[in-house]
Amino acid sequence: MVEITDVVCSLCGCVCDDIVLEVENNEVVKVKRGACSVGKSKLLGHERIKSPMIRENGELKECSYDEAIKKAAEILYKSRRPLLYGWSSTVCEADSAGIELAEDIGGVVDNTATVCHGPSVLAIQDVGIPSCTLGEVKNRADLIIYWGANPAQAHANHMKRYSYVSKGYWTAEGKKGKKLVVVDVRKTMTSKMADVFIQVEQGKDYQVFSALRAILRGHEDVVPDKVGGVSKEQLLEVANMVKEAKFGITFFGMGVTHTGARHNNIVNAIQFTRAGHLYGKWSIMPMRGHFNVTGFNQVCTWQTGFPFSVDLSRGYAWYNPGETSSTDLLYREDCDSALIIASDPGAHFPGAALRHLAKIPVIQIDPFANPTTEFADVVIPAAISGIECEGGVYRMDNIPIRLRKILETDYYVPDAEIVERIHAEVRALREKEGE
Amino acid sequence: MADGELLIRNGVVYDPINGVKGEQKDICIRDGKIVESVTNPKVIDAEGRVVMPGGVDIHSHIAGGKVNAGRIMRPEDGRKGLEPKTSVCRVQSGYSIPNTFATGYRYAKMGYTFVMEAAMPPLAARHTHEELVDIPILDNAAMPLIDNNWMTLEYIKSGDTDLLAAYVAWIIKATKGYGVKIVNPGGTEAWAWGKNCNLHDSVPYFDVTPAEIVKGLAEATEKYEMPHSVHVHGNMLGHPGNFEMTTDTYDLVKGIKPYRDRPAMHATHTQFHSYGGTSWGDFESQAKHIANYVNDSDHVSIDIGSIILGDTTTMTADGPMEYSLYQITGRKWTNLDVELETGSGITPFLYSGKSPVNTIQWAIGQELALLTKDPWKVALTTDHPNAGPFIGYPIIISMLMSKKRRDESAEDMHKVIFDRADLPSIDREYDLNEIAIITRGMTAKTLGLAEHGKGHLGVGADADIAIYDMSPEERDAGKIQKAFLNTKYTIKAGEIVVKDGEVVATPPGRTIFVTPECDDKLMDEMLVTLKDKFDKYYSVTFNNYPVQDAYLPNPYEIKAPWRS
Amino acid sequence: MQTITLKLKDAVRSGIATVPVEVDSLTPDQLFGKSEAELKAVKVWWGNREEDTGDLFDVSVEGDAASADEVKIVMEGDLTRVKRIGSGMKAGEIEARGDVDMHCGALMEGGRIVVKGNANCWAGREMRGGELIIEGDAGDNLCAMYRGEMKGMTGGKVTVGGDVGECICQYMTGGEILIKGNANRLAGLNMSGGKITIEGDAELFGPDMTGGEILMKGKVLEMMPSFKFLETATVDGAEYKKYLGDFAMGEKKAKGTLYVK
Repeated sequence: MVEITDVVCSLCGCVCDDIVLEVENNEVVKVKRGACSVGKSKLLGHERIKSPMIRENGELKECSYDEAIKKAAEILYKSRRPLLYGWSSTVCEADSAGIELAEDIGGVVDNTATVCHGPSVLAIQDVGIPSCTLGEVKNRADLIIYWGANPAQAHANHMKRYSYVSKGYWTAEGKKGKKLVVVDVRKTMTSKMADVFIQVEQGKDYQVFSALRAILRGHEDVVPDKVGGVSKEQLLEVANMVKEAKFGITFFGMGVTHTGARHNNIVNAIQFTRAGHLYGKWSIMPMRGHFNVTGFNQVCTWQTGFPFSVDLSRGYAWYNPGETSSTDLLYREDCDSALIIASDPGAHFPGAALRHLAKIPVIQIDPFANPTTEFADVVIPAAISGIECEGGVYRMDNIPIRLRKILETDYYVPDAEIVERIHAEVRALREKEGE
Repeated sequence: MADGELLIRNGVVYDPINGVKGEQKDICIRDGKIVESVTNPKVIDAEGRVVMPGGVDIHSHIAGGKVNAGRIMRPEDGRKGLEPKTSVCRVQSGYSIPNTFATGYRYAKMGYTFVMEAAMPPLAARHTHEELVDIPILDNAAMPLIDNNWMTLEYIKSGDTDLLAAYVAWIIKATKGYGVKIVNPGGTEAWAWGKNCNLHDSVPYFDVTPAEIVKGLAEATEKYEMPHSVHVHGNMLGHPGNFEMTTDTYDLVKGIKPYRDRPAMHATHTQFHSYGGTSWGDFESQAKHIANYVNDSDHVSIDIGSIILGDTTTMTADGPMEYSLYQITGRKWTNLDVELETGSGITPFLYSGKSPVNTIQWAIGQELALLTKDPWKVALTTDHPNAGPFIGYPIIISMLMSKKRRDESAEDMHKVIFDRADLPSIDREYDLNEIAIITRGMTAKTLGLAEHGKGHLGVGADADIAIYDMSPEERDAGKIQKAFLNTKYTIKAGEIVVKDGEVVATPPGRTIFVTPECDDKLMDEMLVTLKDKFDKYYSVTFNNYPVQDAYLPNPYEIKAPWRS
Repeated sequence: MQTITLKLKDAVRSGIATVPVEVDSLTPDQLFGKSEAELKAVKVWWGNREEDTGDLFDVSVEGDAASADEVKIVMEGDLTRVKRIGSGMKAGEIEARGDVDMHCGALMEGGRIVVKGNANCWAGREMRGGELIIEGDAGDNLCAMYRGEMKGMTGGKVTVGGDVGECICQYMTGGEILIKGNANRLAGLNMSGGKITIEGDAELFGPDMTGGEILMKGKVLEMMPSFKFLETATVDGAEYKKYLGDFAMGEKKAKGTLYVK
């Protein structure tokens, strides 16, 4: 039995990196420390896709890696508008290979941000984002706001490691000495811990942010008695807390990115943060989901200039979420094939988008079977990033951390290599056609 | 590195490090290096054309967290530089913040072959290296930010310069960095609470002053045989009336004896630090004050950080400075504070010739180059992209070489230039030898890269060469600018990478890093304190912190032993 | 006058997917002076491949033109997946007979576009001049900016016969727009100049406004909570309440005007 320390969790955007594991016979037998319950279950492993498969007459039939990769290349090479989607639960090396492939075949490359924090990125493009690393929050924050986020359930280690409950340099007493405000449409596990809970009407976050901004800028006189279901009295209370804080942070989640004014909610949340800065130090951060959703956005930006939803069909990068985003392409039936990697649109995309996915040829690359497998035409199993292969990822606060390889695999191929091999086959097809 | 031989015949060569000032010469290349002679070479006829070593940029922000945060924030900048992929090149985007591929191609087209990434946040060093790997052609290096780190502040406070030197060695090694970068010492830590520091203010909670930080880090740096000195972005960048604080900062290293023949401090983007007046209302140039100081001393070198008119994206670890800039413009603003170490801010900015302040700023950068008598003390930069994108270097070169062009430009700008700046009264014109000094000779020497084959064409040097499509007699500023924007040929490590202004090959660049060698006992003592910081305050573990070898596929190591 | 008729071939719409065609190369100023054969050879993008116009459209030409102003392009067939109609056009006229896809009239500088149907998102994006008439509905981001830009429509005239989507005229700095139907939320977001008239109903219009004017003739479904009531004013003979804002931007910048019933 071997004890391995400093293991990096490849589950959510927290990317906890202090996990201690016990490994025996090339198997994780115990998670000794560091991981939350969901992370633990991923590290302990579950049912894998056993072999590459190609669908024939409606049935997935097992085949070799070479055959599946060749078939995938043929599909992509023929396509007039291929979509290459996913990229958030894999490492940056795979993302990089995927962007190069998309560029070469004139595809649209997009990651899961398109259905989670894409609106946050759009907001950043309107106003920027004052933010910080999670360690800053841990060491300094005296006022923490979770808005439309429920970390007690979705990011189980977040409060303990980085925010409300954590202890740091100026916060040695943990939650004593800190204030927690939770804003949501309903009571949650997180809101139960809050000093102040603000229940906002569904879809009315935008107005509440505007009202808070007007108050922070000294114009409480124009604000009506009730905004978005919140009393002016409560708005004034929160505004006062903001004014008194030395270091405040707003963490926001999907509860505010996808309702009402959507990305403009986040623009307004950032504007609220900017107004907070008139009094103390204020930051804001999205609670990002997949462990490397941030990393894809980073790689895609330094390589193409744009973070996601990049259409490379005309040779240059055209970025326009709403037009070039996966769900929009699928709703509109715009794309004629799809490569789905390290994600599960089958479980997360709306029905109308799935109907088109079911119609077009789909290539899936993933360690695990999921609802997407049910309509995939080519299925290629991958090594598990952070367990069977290493690679770079970016935590939700943009800190780069390298996943470690813990177990050996003599069969499964890493995502990056699969994508590179597909690309090599595409090049071979092009050369053949050129002859 | 290209195999085989190349002969550049009859070019007019400017190789200032070797004292070659515009002589017609042949240059022989084999296996990526300059050699005495070749036997069966491919020949490039450079007759009548200007030949220089590949450009060496001493200070530019091309890779890493804040550059990319700028790109993410500004798709409108991205769309300004869209170019489709070609059979050789990847997709390109961006103007002031080009994507990594465009960064490599566009620098190479200007004849540059080495660029120093001027600010690497240690905790995010992996990010900087990932982007450097994706910048084709250019050799590169990156300087970690070490001046607002709690470890540094605490050792400055306790006065343990040796332990500070051990920490400096550890962080440079852990980040695969090149040297010690200082950005608003103390002020960036203060910014974590929304505050800022003057040179002699006490840093909140740490009870040290920025002056002590600069001096202490310069002393710690010179404990080693470091190729480069401390690289300093001082306090109160961009604030009217900061010029005295600037030279007070230079004074701090007066008594420090540098390892080798370079100053003990490189002061960067000096344009932003040469401001007179008490407010934007009576703002004026104090370039003369700074240049006089540099002329009279040998402990400081500068780069100019000259303005390129137009829109750009400002970005620096100087968080409070970006905040004040954003408050002026009301435009987008991104801030990224990094735990226990540093911060950064990003905001777009438009330099307009109609604005009196921007006009004076524009004059100051050029004044610094023209009033500093010895070109070996001054480098050409725009602090890319802060004072303007690197793609504007040829504009500055043409300005420095042509009084006529400066006068014509001044006519189009705010008339304040005639009252509160010195530029219109300066007659000096740079010659090509001096241009070669401020773009390769001085920079390679100051960075300590000349002995590693950069910035010159002596036998044994890297075969990094720029051939410009202009005669040495050319006096037309427009033609000079055009020639310096797109080379006739750029050769990198013996391989032709640009021909007739088009990129024709994209070999990967090397990352050059320094390994300061510190006594084990000292290192172990320092590590006790450092590990405590990781246990209690960092959000990543000690073992996951250092940059892994995987991030430097083409490494080049320079060892820096402890000075005896 | 010259009329160029371009009818999209049915085959373009018959595949497994409806891959859009992008026709920014087909504007009167770019087609002026071309023979029918040359016209058919003009490249348009269909997905990741460039095709000849003549392969995707039935092309016919009638009459002659002395300048681009005298060129009229009539687009027919199913245009719901034809993007960038009239994008960047400088002169002449385009008549689109049916619903059109995204970016119709984007970056338009001059001339006239008439859409005899609905226009998808980003119609009139960053419009500088000219006239855009959409007889049906228009989608989100009508006359707005490109992502990240701080300038949307700066000039020209737009009329929409039906309803419009979200965030229309974001960062508008100039020009005039008339919406005969309803407007979805956040019309005139970040607007600093120009005029929007909405005859139908609307909610949450004018957030972060720093200039310009929104005239709301229909029903106000919900006001922003950060505007200040100034006075009662008469516009075109009718009585309106005049508001100033947006005070979420601070007092100095709150220079936008709303007129509501």
